Amino acid sequence: MSNRIFLPLVIALALAVPFFTANTYFHHLMVLWMLFSLLALSLNVIIGYIGELSFGHAAFFGIGAYTAAIVGMNFGLAGIPGLLLAAVMAGLFGFVIGYVSLRIVGPQFAILTLGFGSIIYTITNYWVDLTRGPMGISNIQPLGLWGEGGVALTGARGYYYLTLFLVIAFAYACHALLNSRTGRAFIATRENAPLAASLGIDVFRIKLLGFVVATAVAGVAGAVYAHYLTVITPDVMSLQYVAALIIMVIVGGRGTIAGPIIGALIYVVLLELLRALGPLRLVIFAALLTASVIFLPGGIVSLWRRLTGEETKPREAAE
Amino acid sequence: MNAETILSVAGLTKAFGGLTAVKDVDLELNRGEILGVIGPNGAGKTTFFNVIAGSMPPTAGTVHFKGTDCTGMRADRMARLGMTRTFQITSLFPALSVIENVRAATYRFTKTGWISSILRNGAWRDEEAAVDRAAIEALEFVDLAHRADANAEALSYGEQRRLEIAIAIAAKPDLLLLDEPAAGMNPEEGQRLVAMIRGIRDTGISILLVEHHMRVVMGVCDRVAVIDHGEKIADGKPADVVNNPDVIRVYLGREAVNA
Repeated sequence: MSNRIFLPLVIALALAVPFFTANTYFHHLMVLWMLFSLLALSLNVIIGYIGELSFGHAAFFGIGAYTAAIVGMNFGLAGIPGLLLAAVMAGLFGFVIGYVSLRIVGPQFAILTLGFGSIIYTITNYWVDLTRGPMGISNIQPLGLWGEGGVALTGARGYYYLTLFLVIAFAYACHALLNSRTGRAFIATRENAPLAASLGIDVFRIKLLGFVVATAVAGVAGAVYAHYLTVITPDVMSLQYVAALIIMVIVGGRGTIAGPIIGALIYVVLLELLRALGPLRLVIFAALLTASVIFLPGGIVSLWRRLTGEETKPREAAE
Repeated sequence: MNAETILSVAGLTKAFGGLTAVKDVDLELNRGEILGVIGPNGAGKTTFFNVIAGSMPPTAGTVHFKGTDCTGMRADRMARLGMTRTFQITSLFPALSVIENVRAATYRFTKTGWISSILRNGAWRDEEAAVDRAAIEALEFVDLAHRADANAEALSYGEQRRLEIAIAIAAKPDLLLLDEPAAGMNPEEGQRLVAMIRGIRDTGISILLVEHHMRVVMGVCDRVAVIDHGEKIADGKPADVVNNPDVIRVYLGREAVNA
């Protein structure tokens, strides 16, 4: 099936889904799926496009969430300005951390991001005056257009459409990226950095750009999350979320657009189905990641390609 | 021939601790010229090449490219100025298709960014068309257009080496540095390479070739410089260099007999 028919169909379906049921818990799960999709798509820019592994992505999600909560609480800026500020704040942290870390690549970079993530998590936990510490911030206002009062977004269905819009917009931006000079530079850097440099690509700057965009988008997701749940604790930055995001990207299919969205769906669905198992779920997620890396390195989406034969199979050398 | 100098190297020295790999080398390359740099294994050819290409800074001396002092300049900035290089060991984007490999090389002469591609504006559309044209031209030049959709890693060794050249020329450089392009090639592929290098020069690109495949060097170069123990010991027309007694002693002594 060509994308021209398939894509509008999927979007139409996504728009219609909330009307199939009045079950608000189902709507809630849809919001979570979209939020995780946005986060996974942003992490995919780092893992899939610039080819680095980040263990600190949940921290930027947290920075966005706390920024939105704190400016909402202290300045009544709970609307679009709060979202933008969350993006800028997370992107700013992304810039500083990326600027320091991206000169180093590979496993060392991953460990640096783990360190920075832990620092941000710890500070959030202990800076009680600003963040209220482990208690978290509650009673966060719903998302309005401009601060308090006026039209405010309440109810899972409304948040579903907002997050769906954000996912579609960012997925489109990623699609456009891959057909642009910047995107080609991302992929060239991922595939072979010395060759990329020999073609005029400033490898460090390109990686930093990807990192900042990814962290800023994670910040937006965090801000929406804070307004939606109305309560946040430092736990949103914990390693459990870091691992979950990495699992979504890898199991879904890194470097693709459908992959992280499907990965997020798998995560949300499994989390529900396996609720009875308690902490044992994490073991299952870990097993899923391991199995995916070994048997399906291209993720779930590569399975689809394999079935439809879309993928250009490496032909035998002609000579 | 236009005698304008495109690359000028003066007193270039590169030392690694106590070992001086390149010692006080002067070299000039004219626009439109094919200059070969040869020397026995370990003579310092590759170090010389890497210093010029910006992979490592020199210990002393200067490199001027198109009148700009680019001594110790980083490789990517050098490339943006118009100097691209190939690598001794095959260096591609292996997981990408052949055409994507070449498209990535158009970075230095394109301008539109991510935002334009999101807006799909006219500038983006024009530039993508130019990128496709340049990519296909480069592939046709190295006779790989029929393999455009294959994965780069699925190509044969000879095809991969040709793809490397396609990548380098798709960047539309003024100066192309070739690092042992004939390495591992059979004589037939070598002949093909010679014709290709001449063809590149005919499009107006100057070429610096580091190589120890004598047949390739003598067949294609306008001028040859010989390096031994890091020092330049001869510089001239291939026929003169072959007859230079110093060169015969240090390098050609063995190979001239076979050549």
